[in-house]
Amino acid sequence: MRRILVFSAFALLLLSTWMALTLGQIAPVKRNILYAHVPSSVCALLCFVVLLIASICYLRTGKEVWDCVGAASAEVGAVFATILNVTGMIFSRAEWNTWWTPSPRLITAAILWFLYVVYLIIRTSISQSQRRKARVCAVFGIIAFLDVPMVIISARFMPDIHRPDFSFNSPWQSAALMLSMLATVILAAALIWLKTDILKNKTRLEEETIF
Amino acid sequence: MNERVQNNNDDESVITITSVSKAFGSRVVLDNVDLGVYKTQGICICGVNGAGKSTLLRIIAGLLRPAKGSVRLCGFDVSVEPEKAKPHLGLISHKSMLYPELTISENLRFFARLYGVRNAHDRIQKLIEDVGLSPYRYDKACVLSRGMLQRLAIARAIVHNPTVLLADEPFTGLDTQASQHLINVLDKFQADGGTLVMTTHNTRLALECCDRVVVLDKGNFIFDAKTSQIDTGPFIEDYCAYARSRN
Amino acid sequence: MNYFCESLWAIFIKDIVTEFRSKQVLPTMIVLGMLIVWVMRIVSESASAGNAVMGAAALWISLLFSGLLTQERSFAVEEHADCMSGLLLAPVEPETIYIAKLLVNIIMLCVFEIVVVPVVFLAFAVSVDGRWVEFITVLLLGNIGISSVGTLFSAVVGLARTRGSLLSIIVLVILMPMMIPATFALLQLFNAIPTEISGIGTLAFVGSFDAAMGYMVAFDAVFVVACWLLFGFIIKE
Repeated sequence: MRRILVFSAFALLLLSTWMALTLGQIAPVKRNILYAHVPSSVCALLCFVVLLIASICYLRTGKEVWDCVGAASAEVGAVFATILNVTGMIFSRAEWNTWWTPSPRLITAAILWFLYVVYLIIRTSISQSQRRKARVCAVFGIIAFLDVPMVIISARFMPDIHRPDFSFNSPWQSAALMLSMLATVILAAALIWLKTDILKNKTRLEEETIF
Repeated sequence: MNERVQNNNDDESVITITSVSKAFGSRVVLDNVDLGVYKTQGICICGVNGAGKSTLLRIIAGLLRPAKGSVRLCGFDVSVEPEKAKPHLGLISHKSMLYPELTISENLRFFARLYGVRNAHDRIQKLIEDVGLSPYRYDKACVLSRGMLQRLAIARAIVHNPTVLLADEPFTGLDTQASQHLINVLDKFQADGGTLVMTTHNTRLALECCDRVVVLDKGNFIFDAKTSQIDTGPFIEDYCAYARSRN
Repeated sequence: MNYFCESLWAIFIKDIVTEFRSKQVLPTMIVLGMLIVWVMRIVSESASAGNAVMGAAALWISLLFSGLLTQERSFAVEEHADCMSGLLLAPVEPETIYIAKLLVNIIMLCVFEIVVVPVVFLAFAVSVDGRWVEFITVLLLGNIGISSVGTLFSAVVGLARTRGSLLSIIVLVILMPMMIPATFALLQLFNAIPTEISGIGTLAFVGSFDAAMGYMVAFDAVFVVACWLLFGFIIKE
């Protein structure tokens, strides 16, 4: 099942990239980074939702597997948040000749990245007790998720001098975007699944050597 | 050092430990441990360093969660109903759990409030007298000697009249006089109907303070007998030989 | 209810008395705050930046970083002689411990502000034109926000290898969204909204002091409740 997911994700990614660069090309060429930017932003947010659900489930049930899901989604989310920020900066440079501008979207993207990275740092910093680490990470996951809408609203306080201003003028473009979003979401799901399994096996291995 | 004597006691069981296991990382500390402690019993858990004595005591107190098994204290499961079990128990360890900037009276008043003790003032005065710290009641905890701190720690642990007192190596760092004072306080606690669970390396003190001795080794109990049935001299020799062999 | 009030008061008084007797953190906090303000003054002078803008920034930055010191203290004091175990052994609810320590942290930040805010006014030559009630409200809302998150996560500082640094990164990342309207609110009070951004905004928030206050109230409400509910999970083994 996982193999099917991964292969279909890559196949869809290739298809959407081809479509984006040929039939659905946006003019000027530099704007095509959007095909990477928008799907990764959707994925970064989706990973956060998965992290929230995993955190709540861990605190309610205490089952290790939810902690593994949380850790996996944080890692995958961090990757997508990095892609989001980098593509955002490239777009910003291409469009407004500046690497970064305090526009709401870019602020939200930056804070999202920081939230993921701090989560991962907490995981590596606490080494004493597996249970304690899992709980602290779960609590942080929930607090961080509550922070996201706060960030989105608060960023509206910043003057948005620049605003991305374009619309799709061809059905191929929207199709390419939809396709690449689907591909990225499937890829994210597969990666989270893979990483969860790795972490689950790691904890099971440690437990089996004990009792 | 491998005898196990069953306690055929009809007394009510105040602490029931059932199949408790605990590991830290890959190190097994407690392995399927069972123990029943009966009312007004004074039990001493002996063992070398790393045997799991402190861990077991902290599990009974509800400060640590066992990987498997359960602990019932006065009929309440410590993990499931901690708020019902906690008022029945007090804990002293080699760390005093006292605030250095507060005076003796203030420390005791703080804990009396936390436990909702009625007539706290009278209770605190009586406790300070019982542990022999009356001349120092307005001194901050940071100026007290180790022996005085330990006496204050006992006062803190029993301010709410618990049924069970857990004492984790309470004689650590105490001289002979302070140790004797501590023994007197523990005896009084037991005489007043309390149940004592103590851990120590010192077998002489174990036999003096308690009426039952168990030995914990590699996460299991390997010895369990009443002190009245133990021959002091040979037991201490045997235990020292065992302790040497474990090192 | 009675027990809740009794235990809350006991922990609150214990922390206040301990801090004011030991004087461990308050002096350091205040001096650090003043140093940050003066460094920013010197830097703003060399950069010829607007006084009021830098003043608002200096106030929040000094509050944030000095606030971290007091939050770290709130559970560091329990690490001495294993006092945390003593607290956990008592039948007191973890939520009560949270509220008590939250109140202590808020008060410590208020004491800090009493000393450092005049320094900011002096250094940056700003004033609030008589709008003291609004000014104190903004500072109080900031204190509550900073303390709510800091108190929650300071309980785990003892667990981490990196200790205080971990608390710093957690608190700063969670508080980032509150800093924007907080700075904005202060700039409004100092009458120093830069003209080029006045009146422009995606949702017309910029230019509205009430919106900034409303946001801070919402932030504080959400985070105090969330941290209060989650504290029990963090503190137990």
